[in-house]
Amino acid sequence: MNSLTMLYEGRNLISEKPVVVIDIGRAYTKCGFAGESAPRCIIPSEFLCKSTGASKKVFDYETRDQLYQNFVEFGHILFFKYLLVTPKDRKVVIVESLLNPSLERDTLAQVLFSYYELSSVCMVPSHMVSLYTLAVPTALVLDIGYKEAVLIPVVENTPVLHAYQALALAGEAVELNLRKLLESQCKEEEQFYLKAKPLPNSTVEDIKVRGCFVTKLDRAQMIQASVKEPSVSAPTPPPDLPYPLGGDRSITIPGTSRELAYEVLFELDNDLMSIATMILDAILKCPLDTRVSLAENILLIGGTSMALGLKSRLQQELLDLLVTPQYIKKLALKKFCFHNPPAKENYVAWLGGAIMGATNSIVKRSVTREDYSKVPKIPDWADLSFNCNDGVKRG
Amino acid sequence: MAFLMYGDPKVKYLCSCGSMKPISRIYFCRHCMKIKCGFCVSHEVDLHYCSNCLENLPSTEARLKKNRCGYCFDCPSCQISLNTRAVSQAVPNPDDPSKMLSKKSYYLVCAFCRWTSREASIPDQNVANGGWPEIDCPNSKRVAELVDHYQEISLQEKDEEERKKKYQVRPSYFHYAEKYGLSAALAKKRMGGTPQRETRTQQSALVPAVASEEVEELSDSVFIEQLELNKVTTIKQRLASPEIQPTVVSQLYPLHKSLLVKRSLRCRDCEHNVSKPEFNPSSTKFKIQLSAFYHVPDVKFLTCEPVFIGKRSELIITVCNPTQHQSSFKMHPFELNLGAKGSGDAEESAPGLKLCLPECARDAQFKINGTIKLPTTEFQLLPRDDTAEFDDSNKGPTFNDDPKVVVWRRGNKIALRMAVSPDADAEGVLSIGFVIEYSYVNTMTTLEKKEPQKVKLKTHILLRPGPIFKSSQ
Amino acid sequence: MELENVYYNKGDFVETASGNKVCRHTVLCGSQNIILHGKAIVQQDAIIRGDLANVRSGRYCIISRGVVLRPPFKKFSKGVAFFPLQIGDHVFFGEGSVVNAAVIGNYVYIGKNCIIGRRCVLKDCCYIADNTVLAPETTVPAFAHVAGSPGAAVAELPECTPDLMTEFTKSFYQHFVPHALC
Repeated sequence: MNSLTMLYEGRNLISEKPVVVIDIGRAYTKCGFAGESAPRCIIPSEFLCKSTGASKKVFDYETRDQLYQNFVEFGHILFFKYLLVTPKDRKVVIVESLLNPSLERDTLAQVLFSYYELSSVCMVPSHMVSLYTLAVPTALVLDIGYKEAVLIPVVENTPVLHAYQALALAGEAVELNLRKLLESQCKEEEQFYLKAKPLPNSTVEDIKVRGCFVTKLDRAQMIQASVKEPSVSAPTPPPDLPYPLGGDRSITIPGTSRELAYEVLFELDNDLMSIATMILDAILKCPLDTRVSLAENILLIGGTSMALGLKSRLQQELLDLLVTPQYIKKLALKKFCFHNPPAKENYVAWLGGAIMGATNSIVKRSVTREDYSKVPKIPDWADLSFNCNDGVKRG
Repeated sequence: MAFLMYGDPKVKYLCSCGSMKPISRIYFCRHCMKIKCGFCVSHEVDLHYCSNCLENLPSTEARLKKNRCGYCFDCPSCQISLNTRAVSQAVPNPDDPSKMLSKKSYYLVCAFCRWTSREASIPDQNVANGGWPEIDCPNSKRVAELVDHYQEISLQEKDEEERKKKYQVRPSYFHYAEKYGLSAALAKKRMGGTPQRETRTQQSALVPAVASEEVEELSDSVFIEQLELNKVTTIKQRLASPEIQPTVVSQLYPLHKSLLVKRSLRCRDCEHNVSKPEFNPSSTKFKIQLSAFYHVPDVKFLTCEPVFIGKRSELIITVCNPTQHQSSFKMHPFELNLGAKGSGDAEESAPGLKLCLPECARDAQFKINGTIKLPTTEFQLLPRDDTAEFDDSNKGPTFNDDPKVVVWRRGNKIALRMAVSPDADAEGVLSIGFVIEYSYVNTMTTLEKKEPQKVKLKTHILLRPGPIFKSSQ
Repeated sequence: MELENVYYNKGDFVETASGNKVCRHTVLCGSQNIILHGKAIVQQDAIIRGDLANVRSGRYCIISRGVVLRPPFKKFSKGVAFFPLQIGDHVFFGEGSVVNAAVIGNYVYIGKNCIIGRRCVLKDCCYIADNTVLAPETTVPAFAHVAGSPGAAVAELPECTPDLMTEFTKSFYQHFVPHALC
């Protein structure tokens, strides 16, 4: 049975109930137990709606009540299908983005306390807690998820909120770009087909993950130049990819689409912003003495940052932007260094929450059920009632 | 006929939390005499079992094995169970090289997508069960070091806080010792505790992560080589093993099968179990089963004439008595004033914990857009009798049924005829409702009342006979 | 919903003493090996291969049109052997399904056009949705709602499923009546 006991790892004593750690993202949810090195499951943030039979996204809501119902349904799936534990009287750590709408935080807290009857909830910011995986006090954390890319520098374990950057340039933007490219660059008969019956989201996601990649800076610049001036020739595109669509339908993904899908993250848009400028702008907003250490400690998290070739392209872009007139006089940085966390990028924030959840520090920082029953509020940085300096714990 | 398992969407019952559910999905709590549904009861995990080998696992073992079965594997490609297949090889007998022994070796194979363990380069095993090599998580050691490091920091934090508190308490220390009777030994420990704790301040030898300037470049082969889609894993296959997340098919490794759970349900108001399954995963019996199907009269739809605006249509429904006692029922018009959201008093003291009852769910499904003419008499129903099918003689009490209202009566069932008409501005599907007041014999004996008591209970029922057609004229 | 009467031509069906109603347009091979315990309905174009091995079914089984019941086989080093097919009480087979299972429990509902792989084991009270394909040798646990191809559990059935299925099959049987005129 030795190989079976090797399945067991983690620091939890058998008599203690391990703390549950959940990170609900816009596209995928990571959930598991504290002290383990990987989540038990990474599942799409959707559930099967009983009345219509179709799958519904958790964050697809119009009123607060609908969101409440969504969280209840999704919670059932998490607790009874994947975690397989009774939620009652458990401690939970929720890893969430600091820029999450307050409505979602409050509704989630309400669901966890009143419906699932958990004993305590600790909400930790994803950017800060990701540093727990590195044991480094200062880093620039860029989370490229599905809906948006959020960057918050963390200095001495405190998020520097005023330097935050957020752009809607993430997985969803890449998928939309890919759709546009396919519709314009595919073969004639396939284009007609695509316009008549657009591809489902899951297919586009699959093409994006399996077939597309982030190209090199010099190639991207050559392609851009060739678009503006037809006399300049574009580099040879990568080979086309035949993609089966089920049944006997198939489309051919042209090589150019494969190469250019991710360009939307790096093209400078009307405001001259891209993923790379986000990093430089954030560094500019931080105090002078922290700038070098931030530039030399960049941490990329989030599913979209796992794209092939993204890290090296980002480094090339950053070095390239440093010499542009926008930044040359303001920043005196020489190099950019990236961290390699002990986890795949799509669950680094979860792992940080899991490491924190295995320590005693959550005891002080959680909201217990008794406190919540008296004052039904979760401490929120945006809520002034929690930011007053009277030194008394609220609730 | 999916309605069979999810209930007839045409007939729904109102639960005490405000949601409308078909009768197969609601429960009847005998202690509070109320209808409860899956939303308003609290769920608890009762037992873990594997869906393939149907073996019951105690919860501690399940936790040790990370909620996975030790013997069964899932195909990493299509996520269904893997089968073990044996292959015989002729191997020379170690004792006598001239004779050949047939040795059986086993490998895993998926019956659906034909993935085999040989594709993952796993050598065939000699034992049918177990013996499959496990993959180590590459980062577990580092994560364990990180957890230790941060645990130390948090304990130091705790120590510092206690030290701050202690400096305030110290002056009256002996006073406290006398008051609370701290023994001398304990007192000494507290006094002598500080030097012990100071030794904990030595840092663990944790090397913080170092960022590297060198980043892996995109290899040029991407631009030249044809990508074979069959060799690249899909997102679902990658996420099935979160630690490794293999990108190529040759790295796919069989996963231990996830366990399933059986849940027991508990009413939130009276804390009594409403449903408790049995220990054996394959059994269909329950230790406690309080489905509403067995206690509340079952209203079913028989026929309805097409509904036109401005006209009256005939609707026939059947009501069935599922209990072992003769019961009577009466029908009242629908009352929309549901008043209190759930049980009011208990939640006033803890406003934060009030179960948020879905208002939108209530309102949307409550749109009554028709009127129904209900019969005013009270109907008697015979008790449920399972032997009736074998008994051909029609012995039984005769009831004076009004033939205009009662279509037929068979055993514990009765078919009633009613007239419905939609509202003038109604559109879509016709929804009408009524309240059924039925007598229920509570066979539970409590300390106060030793005999079964008869109570009258009311339940709201919503009917959806069909779409409304505009008048043909 | 209460079922309405389904009529059939009296000439097409044979009614046995134990209440089985078997259509004449079926293919029943090896009928001496086929045991239908009572009150079963076998509709048109059904094929039951009793010649391969025993087929035993319980009471109130409903076999719809075009259903193929075929006992599963197992390959041995010395050839092939067929195993008996055991079916429990109150089982409903939807139209066009092909069943190669080894054991089917009680109160099982199998939808239309399903393919149940060989040597599958279906425990009591499970629900196989329409158009499901179950891979060979899968075990379907009790109260599972299985759908898709390959079949995977998607939901759980309510606790009162045995009684719901009993009522359904009994009422189907009772409403399966011959035409008044024949």
